Amino acid sequence: MDFKDYYAVLGVSESASPEEIKKAYRKQARKYHPDVSKEENADEKFKDVGEAYEVLKDPEKRAEYDQLRKYGARPDGSFEPPPGWKSASGFGGGGYTEADARQFSDFFEEIFGGGHQRGYSGGGFRQSMRMRGEDVHARLALFLEEVFQGCEKQVSFTVYESDAHGHAVPRQKTLKVKIPAGMREGQHLRLKGQGSPGAGGGDSGDLLLEIELAPHPTFAVEGRDILVTVPIAPWEAALGASVTVPTVGSKVNLKVPKGSSSGRKLRLKGKGFPGQHPGDQIVVLQVVMPEQHTPEAEKLYEQLAEAEKNFNPRSKLHV
Amino acid sequence: MSRTMNILTVDLVDSGARYTLREVCERGGCHAELVIKMVSYGIVEPIAPAEGTPELQWEFDVSALARLQKALRLQRDLNINLAGLAMSLDLLDEVEIMRKEIAQLRQQLAQCYGGSSGH
Repeated sequence: MDFKDYYAVLGVSESASPEEIKKAYRKQARKYHPDVSKEENADEKFKDVGEAYEVLKDPEKRAEYDQLRKYGARPDGSFEPPPGWKSASGFGGGGYTEADARQFSDFFEEIFGGGHQRGYSGGGFRQSMRMRGEDVHARLALFLEEVFQGCEKQVSFTVYESDAHGHAVPRQKTLKVKIPAGMREGQHLRLKGQGSPGAGGGDSGDLLLEIELAPHPTFAVEGRDILVTVPIAPWEAALGASVTVPTVGSKVNLKVPKGSSSGRKLRLKGKGFPGQHPGDQIVVLQVVMPEQHTPEAEKLYEQLAEAEKNFNPRSKLHV
Repeated sequence: MSRTMNILTVDLVDSGARYTLREVCERGGCHAELVIKMVSYGIVEPIAPAEGTPELQWEFDVSALARLQKALRLQRDLNINLAGLAMSLDLLDEVEIMRKEIAQLRQQLAQCYGGSSGH
């Protein structure tokens, strides 16, 4: 088991005052709250911070922890409590805590005992009470093609089950979910009864899936419209052309009008998000040059420069 | 900690779920008074109630439920009062919208300049 340095977690010194500890905790809790933070492992860090504060805010627990920290920690970072260790202040005796202790670490449990109980521990009460299981929230990132056509997706999430002693035990659950076509970003799917199981004959909670769009290498999304940048050659731009452009899951032929500049937008009606009022696909033209020209082509450009010498592409810059 | 994986196909999907005030309270583990207060602060919105609809007849959609549960977590974990909660959630929404917009603009830029990197 690894030793947890609660002082390092909160970023305070061993001699920090209760006020400093409280302040550090509040700051870290704001920073790593899973509903706020975009940092990786915010969930994990938030739990660590809560656990550290649970110990360091309580003078008795803190004294016990300090003692262990002095004698129990080994140079390699691993930890073994001294033989016969028993906490005097821990949760073992059914002590009340307002913290959600069921997710505390093994390290915490080893020192302070039965952390994996809900706040209001005490056995019989919980057993006999009918309680609905918790809803579980998860996000599901889909590609545009999947959103357009519907798809089947595997979703993994954690639910909490009560064991024989009324302890909440995490369990990994995996479901295959059929996603209907035409979902929008931010919409939710509800899978009835797939959340945490209820207690005392109560119903299971639901799984609530929020749909997200995964970034797409070709297409961008703007409301109900799909944007795609399509490169064209200078002569296609000058003379007009019929070009093949990708749509989500297919392709179409598009007529590029004569004399198109870079940035010109062409609208493909109804090729955006499907639905009652389908969106459009908007093609943005981009004139690109070959990396190298043949001597013949260069000669032609010279002729072109001569023929169009009155054209000033920088007239808007007044130069 | 985790037991064997349990794979099954669920095609019961329901995006148009509606919850009564009583149901959101049960799911959020809170009192109706708190939900009513949260509505008055604009933290959550019931589905367009007609003028003078009694609170007990309010209905909420899944997004409102998710928002309520998020608000309750923030209130519990960070000890925020209702006015602060309303503002935090609004700012979080705004940040989320801006993040998405930045990601999208970056992607469009990458497309225009042929960069394959989406960074």
